[in-house]
Amino acid sequence: MGRPEKMNPLVIRNLTKNFGDICAVNHANFEVTENSVFGLIGRNGAGKTTTIRMLMNIYLPDEGEIIFRGEKITPEFKDVVGYLPEERGLYKKMSVLDTLLFFAEIKGKTGSTVKRKALEYLERFELLDRASSKIQDLSKGNQQKIQFITTILHDPDFIILDEPFSGLDPINTDLLKDIILEMKEKNKVIIFSTHLMDYAEKLCDHIAMIDKGKIIVSGSMKDIKQKFSDGNITLIHEGDISFARNLPYVEKVNDFGNFTGIKVKDSLHTQEFLKELVNRNIRIDKFSANDISLHEIFVQLAGVSENETTHSWKGVGNEF
Amino acid sequence: MNFKKTKGIIRRELKDKLFSKSFVIMTLLIPGIIFLSVGIQSYMMSYDSNTTKKIMIVTGIPNLIDELQNEFIQSDMAVSKEFILTFEEMNEKDFMNGLEKMKPLLMDESLNGIVFIPKDALTNKEVRYYSKNPKNRSLTGKLSSVINQVLVTKYFAGRDIDQKDILYAKKRVHFNTMKVSSQNIEKEGFGGEIISFGFTFLLYMGLMLSGTLILRSVIEEKNNRIVEVLLSSVSSNDLMVGKIIGASLTALAQMFIWIIPIILILSTTWFMLPPELNISISIWQWLYFFLNFLIGIVTFLGLFAAVGAIFDNDQDAQSGLWPVMMLIMIPFFIALSVGNNPSNSLAVYTSMFPFSAIIVMPARMALVEVPVSQFIISIIVSLVTLILVFPLSGKIYRIGILMTGKKPTWKEVASWIKAKN
Repeated sequence: MGRPEKMNPLVIRNLTKNFGDICAVNHANFEVTENSVFGLIGRNGAGKTTTIRMLMNIYLPDEGEIIFRGEKITPEFKDVVGYLPEERGLYKKMSVLDTLLFFAEIKGKTGSTVKRKALEYLERFELLDRASSKIQDLSKGNQQKIQFITTILHDPDFIILDEPFSGLDPINTDLLKDIILEMKEKNKVIIFSTHLMDYAEKLCDHIAMIDKGKIIVSGSMKDIKQKFSDGNITLIHEGDISFARNLPYVEKVNDFGNFTGIKVKDSLHTQEFLKELVNRNIRIDKFSANDISLHEIFVQLAGVSENETTHSWKGVGNEF
Repeated sequence: MNFKKTKGIIRRELKDKLFSKSFVIMTLLIPGIIFLSVGIQSYMMSYDSNTTKKIMIVTGIPNLIDELQNEFIQSDMAVSKEFILTFEEMNEKDFMNGLEKMKPLLMDESLNGIVFIPKDALTNKEVRYYSKNPKNRSLTGKLSSVINQVLVTKYFAGRDIDQKDILYAKKRVHFNTMKVSSQNIEKEGFGGEIISFGFTFLLYMGLMLSGTLILRSVIEEKNNRIVEVLLSSVSSNDLMVGKIIGASLTALAQMFIWIIPIILILSTTWFMLPPELNISISIWQWLYFFLNFLIGIVTFLGLFAAVGAIFDNDQDAQSGLWPVMMLIMIPFFIALSVGNNPSNSLAVYTSMFPFSAIIVMPARMALVEVPVSQFIISIIVSLVTLILVFPLSGKIYRIGILMTGKKPTWKEVASWIKAKN
């Protein structure tokens, strides 16, 4: 039943899951807000999928609770969720339309409305002429699109997308991104799980970063960036700036290939650093003070080197 | 259980299995295989007799050749023309001397055998058969019958005994088997044995085919990662139950298609069966047969699904399937041997034992009148087995389908059963 105080639609409290001696998720707490895209971010094996499987009632948590719209989730929660798992799977010998109708049926949706909607989505994804084709006859990208349609066909309130862009070409990546934003407009709650920080940065309003099963930070993207950006400089330049490592007020230099992240001890040192660059004739294409990428935040918090994290700055995945 | 969702799973399973080309092919193929195997067996038996065999009959009893020739001419052996018989008369010493010379003929099979009837056969009925293949029971059986008649005639010759009495003495005892049931007593043919064999074979094939199908289907879902999408909509219990109901309905439909012609042949006058093939199976026994099959199929499909969930690929699953295969194969062989004596204690006990009851009881019931109490015990045992085994299968299935990577050990599988979630 609804509670008098305004509560976020999805609240995760103290969620814990162990597999033998391994603690996959360790007392995770985060909240997913209304009308937003929420990013669950972390490396492979950080505990994202286990958290999602607990949300989906596939795994039962050892501890903790999941509150959806003020109530503990029940098996019926599955009906209002659309889930696109990281590892996609469809029946290869089933026809495209039968596949869509089957997955809608096990979400409790049948009839002509669902069929009409399925055909509409197929048209939108330019697959209408393949409605009676077998799944195995489609390309991997097209199978991916069918999988995405199965996730949203039953018009869920709450959508979980685990690495939704992997395997899609740039045009379909854009199409998918548009649909995700469209769903956000329709007040759907979207959880977007990824290990690609740039996608999360561009799409998400709120995030929870998970590492080794623990939530290391959660909240609105804006607040988190604000909190971590103080004294941080994003620099795009030409020329050698290795001298920066020896400057007494520079705390850390992170070379991300396309740009460099520099952390100074105090924001007052920002001007001083700019002056130093000018004096050393470094060509500056971009100098952004008190700015930080999600990737940098993750590196800072998870305490790992850039090579250990998976990111798409160097051309992994598709940009949009 | 959410029946609306389970219905979706059942419908997909039926579409995938019952309305598939492979179902039609397999359903028609199995009776074909049965007919073929029976056909091959009878062909093999007749093949043996179709080859003309050259047999030499040597008698150490003087003046027996005419009687032997007469008797052989009147016998079935002459009618079938499967033998070329030559007759010789010589004493034992001469025979033993000549035997060495005959050896090459026996070895290259230009002569298939030599029967020697020594003089004292008239007192002890002991004859000797020399051949490269002396254990040809069908041949020695036929020869023995004719030679016995000749010896009996010779034995009683000149003893002032009526020819009628001699004929009686020569005649073999013939067993007319009468089946006693609570309704009536009737002459038993070999219809019961055919039905018993048919039931055993169909139950075996029904369990194996459906089991293999569900095993492959679970592995496909696990391998193609469909299972995670499915579990985001239905619970693992609903998924497993839906799959098993779908597969069970398919298996039942298949069994109906196989059994209906048998019911029509036995219960209508459309087909004139020779009296030896007649067998009566009551409606209750048919009901029992299908109920027993239904319980059996659900029990075994649960086990097959659990094995499918443990492994990632067909090859590993086939090697891990042996415990379930044993539960089908052992009763299958017991049921096949039931024809020799349906009332032996092994047949009786295994027809009321977990797992084996499913295959052995129908084979027994086709041959003898099984007391109602034993039917009831058999059904209760099978039901209790189902109730105990199904939740265990469900637990293994639920944990196994989400496990990928390393092949689990049996110890790990046992720990899944004990696990809370």
